[in-house]
Amino acid sequence: MAQSQQDTAAQDAIAAMVKQVLAAMNQGGTQPSASAPAQSSGHLDAKKDYPLAAKRPDLVQSASGLQLNDITLEKVVSGQIKFEDIKIRPETLEYQAQIAESAGRPHLAANMRRAAELTRVPDARVLEIYNSLRPYRCTKQEMLDIAAELENQYQAKICAALVREAADVYEKAGRLKAA
Amino acid sequence: MKISEEMVKEIILEVMGQMQPPASASAPASTAAPVPLNLRETGDAVVGKDKNEVVIGLPPAFGNTMTQTIIHIPHQDVLREVMAGIEEEGLKARLVKVNRTADVGFIGHEAAKLSGSGIGIGIISRGTSVIHQRDLAPLQNLELFSQAPLVELETFRAMGRNAAKYAKGENPSPVPVRNDPMARPKYQGLAALLHNKETQLVDRHKSTKELALA
Amino acid sequence: MAKRQKRFEVLADRAVNQDGFIKEWMEVGLIALDSPQDPTPSICIEQGKVVEMDGKKRDQFDMIDAWIADHTIVTEVAEEVMAMDSLTIARMLVDINVPRKEIVRLSVGMTPAKYVDVLKRLNVVELMMAMQKLRSRSTPSNQAHVTNVKDSAPLLAADAAEATLRGFAEIETTVGVGRYAPMNALSLLVGGQTGRPGVLAQCAVEEALELTMGMRGLTHYAETVSVYGTEQVFVDGDDTPWSKAFLASAYASRGLKMRYTSGTGSEVQMGYAEGKSMLYLEIRCIMVTKGAGVQGLQNGSISCIGVPGAVPAGIRAVLAENVATVLNDLEVASGNDQTFTHSPIRNTARMLMQFLPGTDFIFSGYSASPNYDNMFAGSTHDVDDYDDMLVLQRDLQTDMSLNPVSEEDVIAVRNRAVLALKAVFEELRLPPITDAEVEAATYAHGSKDMPDRNVPEDLRAVDEMMQRGTTGLDVVQALAKRGFQDVAESVLNMLKGKVSGDYLHTSAIFDKDFNVISAVNDPNTYTGPGTGYRLEGERWDLLKNIPAAISPEDV
Repeated sequence: MAQSQQDTAAQDAIAAMVKQVLAAMNQGGTQPSASAPAQSSGHLDAKKDYPLAAKRPDLVQSASGLQLNDITLEKVVSGQIKFEDIKIRPETLEYQAQIAESAGRPHLAANMRRAAELTRVPDARVLEIYNSLRPYRCTKQEMLDIAAELENQYQAKICAALVREAADVYEKAGRLKAA
Repeated sequence: MKISEEMVKEIILEVMGQMQPPASASAPASTAAPVPLNLRETGDAVVGKDKNEVVIGLPPAFGNTMTQTIIHIPHQDVLREVMAGIEEEGLKARLVKVNRTADVGFIGHEAAKLSGSGIGIGIISRGTSVIHQRDLAPLQNLELFSQAPLVELETFRAMGRNAAKYAKGENPSPVPVRNDPMARPKYQGLAALLHNKETQLVDRHKSTKELALA
Repeated sequence: MAKRQKRFEVLADRAVNQDGFIKEWMEVGLIALDSPQDPTPSICIEQGKVVEMDGKKRDQFDMIDAWIADHTIVTEVAEEVMAMDSLTIARMLVDINVPRKEIVRLSVGMTPAKYVDVLKRLNVVELMMAMQKLRSRSTPSNQAHVTNVKDSAPLLAADAAEATLRGFAEIETTVGVGRYAPMNALSLLVGGQTGRPGVLAQCAVEEALELTMGMRGLTHYAETVSVYGTEQVFVDGDDTPWSKAFLASAYASRGLKMRYTSGTGSEVQMGYAEGKSMLYLEIRCIMVTKGAGVQGLQNGSISCIGVPGAVPAGIRAVLAENVATVLNDLEVASGNDQTFTHSPIRNTARMLMQFLPGTDFIFSGYSASPNYDNMFAGSTHDVDDYDDMLVLQRDLQTDMSLNPVSEEDVIAVRNRAVLALKAVFEELRLPPITDAEVEAATYAHGSKDMPDRNVPEDLRAVDEMMQRGTTGLDVVQALAKRGFQDVAESVLNMLKGKVSGDYLHTSAIFDKDFNVISAVNDPNTYTGPGTGYRLEGERWDLLKNIPAAISPEDV
């Protein structure tokens, strides 16, 4: 069901990989489930594969595709490493989510999956959206617009669902900005 | 080096501030016993156009059901000092009553948003205060006076002065920060009692009102 | 009284009588635990959805009820555990024959009122037993506060280095003047890695600014992400469970460790406890945290400790909230971080509650600066208490995660940290650290020993640094360029930690070789005598040899 209908023309290779991971993921709701570990697709194991840096360095790459071993002091000093090279990528967060599930922590895994989505949202926009979710900042429509943006522009479906849910709750509680 | 009268005054105040024993022991000089203030509502508060004003935001219990700070500074003295500080810098003070919250950060922010200069001050009844700026997040601040037992008469004067300086676009030295690790064990239970009294008059559906001090 | 009884005169002068005590005021919630207005536990689930919780129907839920019902409670086990007798569950918490795993399986189905109903049946010794058995990570550790009233960067760097040398796994700063935050963060980043590689550093300020600094790689984790137990107080804190959950994901999306902060007393302190007990409201905070998928929580009343500290059984409630946190399978940074009494006797008694069983972070802010410099308004214990703590570890053969250190080593590491920061300041074009400051910071007790800095100039430079977009990589470059290769390497390794994300898991810290130690690879397996974390072997040899101990050969 995660087969995306979005226009992917502009997406680069990273986004394509992200999609694969997303497609493989069990979409589900936000309600954590005690039985989630068994349904997970990736099956990384807390005992075998954690910590990833030591036990599965093959799986760890930065957002720009560098392996941990490629990030050296010499390269930083000579200016070859950019900040983008030391950012976590969504696949890694998905692996960590699988480890969290395997360790019996479905709530933590759910947060890591929202985080995987947010890796695609620029810093400044993340901060703006956070501020928009604070009480009395947005009308309901403004919140729904943010949800649509998250879903369409950043393929952030789980985060979009969270924002839509917030819009409903804020409306009932009278915590929206007056339209 | 040119030494102005004001500089001397400032230095004396600062030295005196440092000489003060912990707040608990000092009895602030007050003009009179704490009495309810004659604060009159004159309609809904509006955003000011005057760039030479600093708006002071107060919660509804201030000078009303509560009349002094946690270290017994009467509210009339609090307002007198803050306003004098602002006027000393050649600016005007305007008072508003923020009805919807008793949180000092939000009160200060509301005052700043109403202020023609974009600078506001929030003061709650027990003395906790903040200098705020319009374009900051509500819980950020320019200067925060978080420990009410350490906010003394001269702190209120300095607060008014600095707020006015920010309003003029200056970059003043913040009022020296004070810290008393023993304020909490002595005062926090009491502060909780006072704050529950404070919030009893809050009405989250009521707008902010302009105040006139008779 | 005309004539005073002499013993009463002496007692009146005792430190404890400087403390403020208040009587319970139930209507507003000035009560530690078990308010008559606390709800009775109940749950009703229809088609996998919670439709009634603790006596409230779904349409009566406030925001916090709604969050807990939809995001926290695992409905698959809720009916099973809610049907169990609370006394039975309470006994399971202290029963060595019931493994932690089984308790954690069940606890995620409990409602807030059920937690209170279970925990109120345990006395403090039983609560300590539960903590020993239920905390997430096997090895206990500690966090330190590193602050000073002048926001003096050289002193912050020196104090950070000493703190990490002494064994703190995490260090936390905050500000006197708000705009100093990035400079303070930078000082801890450099000082912390100089003292002991692998230590995590943070700067506690307003949420959005705190996240910005983390995104830039100037901090490693965040903790001052506050949650509250009533809707009105949550909103006064300028957030909702949804905004805070989004923030939690934002941190993880940048590979940053994060925990929330809450604590008994905050709701009544902020004037909206709705007549509920402090413990009941705190459990709602813990469950908001759990539902957000955050790995841990700092609680133990924290900045509101004066409130539970002033009412009956308050300190017992504080321990109970720590236990409730680990019962939710979360990391606990267990308080002991704020002055709450004038009395050294009360102070120690309060701290033993977490020290004896051990927690993930026994102190979530031992003051690594003198308390007059502690900008969290003072901690329970500070630099002047270090030797007492070392002796307590030795007396009780219990690990507080503090190391004995020599004066020479402390002088050396403080000096090197300030020199490293001086180099970074020069490279980043921040106002210079003078030789006089280096000397003063190396030998200082606190900020009274430090020369003043030009505050407006510092603040202008900080603003410029943030506008330039300075990141952790610039710090690495600066250190390497100026000959601090090892510190540069450590700062870089910490940045690499964000790439692998291993330290996003519950209770994670790093050792000096950057190996992550968390509840995943160092789980607490305590099942009674002979099991779990024990202070023995090499570590015990280290801790029993305090410098003051005389050896037989020396006499």
